[in-house]
Formats: sequence, structure tokens, C-alpha cells
Amino acid sequence: MTELAEGPTRIGVRGSLSYWNREFQRIHSPILRYGFSVVSVAVALGIAFILQHYGFRDVEVPVLTVAIAFATWYAGIGPSVLSVVLSLLFFDYFFLEPYYSFDISTRDLPYFFIFLGWAGIVASFSAVRRRIEDNLRQARDHLQVEVEQRRQREDEIRSLNLELGKRALELEASNKELESFAYSVSHDLRAPLRHMVGYSELLQRQASSVLDEKSQRFIRTILDSAKRMGTLIDDLLAFSRIGRAETRKTQVDLRQLVEEVVAEIGQDTKGRDIAWKIGTLPACYGDRSMLRLAVVNLASNAVKFTRMRKAAEIEIGAVDRGENEVELFVRDNGAGFDMQYVDKLFGVFQRLHLPEQFEGTGIGLATVQRIIHRHGGQVRGEGALDQGATFYFSLPKAQHAGERTANAS
Amino acid sequence: MTGLGRILIVEDDPNDVELTLTALTDYNLANEVVIARDGQQALDYLYCRGEFAARPAGNPAVMLLDLKLPRVGGLEVLQQIKSDERLKMVPVVVLTSSHEEKDMMRSYKLGVNAYVVKPVDFHEFVNAVKELGVFWAVINEPPPGSVPK
Repeated sequence: MTELAEGPTRIGVRGSLSYWNREFQRIHSPILRYGFSVVSVAVALGIAFILQHYGFRDVEVPVLTVAIAFATWYAGIGPSVLSVVLSLLFFDYFFLEPYYSFDISTRDLPYFFIFLGWAGIVASFSAVRRRIEDNLRQARDHLQVEVEQRRQREDEIRSLNLELGKRALELEASNKELESFAYSVSHDLRAPLRHMVGYSELLQRQASSVLDEKSQRFIRTILDSAKRMGTLIDDLLAFSRIGRAETRKTQVDLRQLVEEVVAEIGQDTKGRDIAWKIGTLPACYGDRSMLRLAVVNLASNAVKFTRMRKAAEIEIGAVDRGENEVELFVRDNGAGFDMQYVDKLFGVFQRLHLPEQFEGTGIGLATVQRIIHRHGGQVRGEGALDQGATFYFSLPKAQHAGERTANAS
Repeated sequence: MTGLGRILIVEDDPNDVELTLTALTDYNLANEVVIARDGQQALDYLYCRGEFAARPAGNPAVMLLDLKLPRVGGLEVLQQIKSDERLKMVPVVVLTSSHEEKDMMRSYKLGVNAYVVKPVDFHEFVNAVKELGVFWAVINEPPPGSVPK
């Protein structure tokens, strides 16, 4: 709207500018410029003669200087010099004794020089004026170019903004699609599974007396597989939920969080000898429930993979990594892994052990990685076969949380 | 069992219907069960219209409602019931496969009485249905005048 309102004035200014541009360009042609100079001197001379004819005395000097001023004003330095020279010649020839000759008597010499000085001053004033005008014009052209460039840049920014808006819409749409995909997976995939389990159990119940041991084992396998698939779907859904859920970040006391998790896991590992060692843990900045899930996954992994140890040792601690971030680690003396497969550790459904050795779906570390990435941190693992493993993850420190999340997002 | 309230099950999947009925039969809760196969049928039953025009009067003791239904969805049915003065006192239990937070929030905002996610494990499923049936059809006192004795 503002642009529309400004339109006419802008066009008006531009119109008059271009008019004056044309005016100046007309006199830029050298033939016209020098011609203009000659014509003005000639006209001045004619006027001087006419005035003289009507009895006016000594009018030739002002009339000729006016001609010089005109030539300088409109035609530039070269023509102005020409007009000065012509005026001097005509002045000397027609108006200084002896008349009709180029000789100058000594008596008239000061008169001649005064005219020369006068013409020079007028010419130099005009020249200065022209120079200033030229500078102004250049400055104006420069400004015009700059304004044009700025307008182009604005247009560019505007089109980029539009593009960005479109992208955001596309992203939103694909996000929605993903969400509805996860939804139908959650709903539609579970129903047939429940039926498989339900009818297998009914079959088991109804026909257990007529089925032999082998058939009974088949039914059990169907049941186990269906249940396992149920767990896989649940894990996958939980995993995708972590990617979609909004993070609610606050200051988190890691020490308290870890102790909570260890106490909870301790409930399920009563028969085992596990030495928990918890180092000094700082406060960090993040989503408490997500971080808790990450710690639970890592700690229960450690518990799981130390199962064959008589005395299991699990250490949870922190290493200071500069002023911005802190790195936590969970170390165990369990089964460990071959560093050759370290790249596969954090993949979805990637497992480095046989299901008979250690149960699990292979989503735990992928979940940990996703949580830590959403906090702007990194994960890594170190280990050796049968010599335990250590998993590290970095988090922004509480006091640097603001800048860090700003960078991460 | 005397004083057993009627149970309205809204479920489109015939297998789920059979499994639910099996669970209810196991515990002698299946003598007064009505099955509606979509949201429209459920509303027809509650308003005594269409094929249910001649049904005995009175509201069910509890309604077990699936969310994903053909024609009229479960959430729409819930909204309709809870915004109707005569029907809003019918206890509604959402019995669904959906774990989604969005569905739970919507259901509770609409005034659902309970939200139960169907367990994949059959024993748990049977247990859940049994407990729901026992609680709502036997233990719970229905609103006075809503359920015929």
C-alpha cells in the first residue's frame, strides 16, 4: 500500500531528473558546445553593435562577458576558453583603438587586461559551478545505482522468504504425513497382532489335549514371535515419538536423575552382584524425561551385558569438556563389543549380539542417540570384545544452555 | 448374576468382537451385551432409532468404545454423547489400540470415563476386558434412573 501511495511522486522526481539528464546530454556533443560558444559571442557582438549604433557607449565589455558566462555555463571549459579568445579578438579588433586592427596601443593595455581578468573570473566561476554540478550528478547516479541494487536485494530477500515459507509448509505437510503414518502403524498394525496372539492362545487352550509336543511348540513360537513384533512396534513408535515430541528444557540435576534410575533398576536386579559407582555429576540443561530415558537405556544395557559377570561393575561419571559442555559416560565390565562394528552401534534395530545371548530389539542406543542429538550433543562408544564397554554422551552445561540450544536449533 | 447392567460394545473388527465376547463369557458377563459395528449404529442404539427402534428402554451400564470406526468415528460418538443431556451420564470407556497422546487428550477433554489401551498379550487383554466388565457392569453404581434394573 505504501508503495502505491509513493508511486506518483517517485515517478515525478525521476521524470524531471531524466529531463535534466537529456538537457545536459544535448550540450555534451562537442560540435554543439563549441558552436554555442561561437554563436553567443557573435550574438553579443551584434547586440554591442546595435547598442553602440543607438549611442550607448562602452557596453561591449559587459555584453561580451555575459556571452562568455553563457558559453561557460552551458558548454564547458573548452568552449569557454574559445569564447574568451574570440571575445578578446573582437574586442581588440572592433572596440580598441586603433579600430579594425589587432594592434593594441599602450594606453589601452590596462583596459585590455581588465577585460581579460574579468573574463577569466567569470569563466573560472562557471567552471567551478560545472565541476560541482558534475560531482553532484555523479553522486546522484551513484545513489541511483545503489538504490537500484538495494531494490534488487530486497526483491531477492522477498523471493527467498517466499521460498522459505513454501518449504516450511512442505515440511509441515510431510511432518503431518509422518504423524498419521505413525498413528496408523500404532493402531492398524497392533490389531492383527492381538488377533494372532488371541487366537493362538485360544487354540492352545482348546486343542492342547489333542496336539502333540511339536505342534504345541509351533503354537508357542507363533505366540513368541507375535509378542516380539508387538515389542518392536512399541519400540519403534516410542522412537518416532522422541523425534516428534517437543522438548521441554529445564535445568536438570544429573546426579539426582542418575541415582533415581539406579534405584529403579536396582529393584529388578536383586539377585545380582552389581557394584554401582556414581561419580560427581554436574547440572545440565535439557528435557528431564528424555534424558532420563537415555540414562535408563544406557544403564539397563550395562546391566544386561554384564549378566555373565559374577561381580559386575558399572560406573557412571562425567568428564569436563571445556566451558560449554560436559560429557557423561556409562562404563561396564561386561561383554563389550568389537570396535570394528562401532558404526553400527547407534543404528535402529542394529544388534551386535545373537538374540540367544542377549535379548532386545536394538532400538535402545538409537533412542539414546536421538535424544542426545536433540539436545545438541554427541554420542560415541568404546569397547573391546569381552572387556566391557563405555558409552559417552555430551550435553550443554546449564549456564551455557541458552546459546547452545540457539545454535543447535 | 442379578442386577447385571447391559454392556454396549462399539467395535468394527469381528475378531476383536469375538475375543472380547470370549473374555466376557469366561467370566459370565456376556448375557447382556450389545454389539454396534460402527459409530452410526452405536448412536442409533443409544437414541433408539433405525434398527434399534424397538429395543427395550434404558441406557447401557457401560459403553466400550473403539476410536477407529467406519462412518462415524469414536471421538465423534463420544462428543455427541457427552454433549447430550440424556446420554452424558452413560459411562464411556475408550478401548483402543491407540497409544497416541493426542487421542488420550482428546478423549479426556471430551469427558471420557476411562481410557484403556488394548494389550497385545491375550491374557492381559482378557484381564482388561474382564475387569472393565466387572467394574462397570457389577461394582459401579450407575446414575439413578439411567439403567433399568
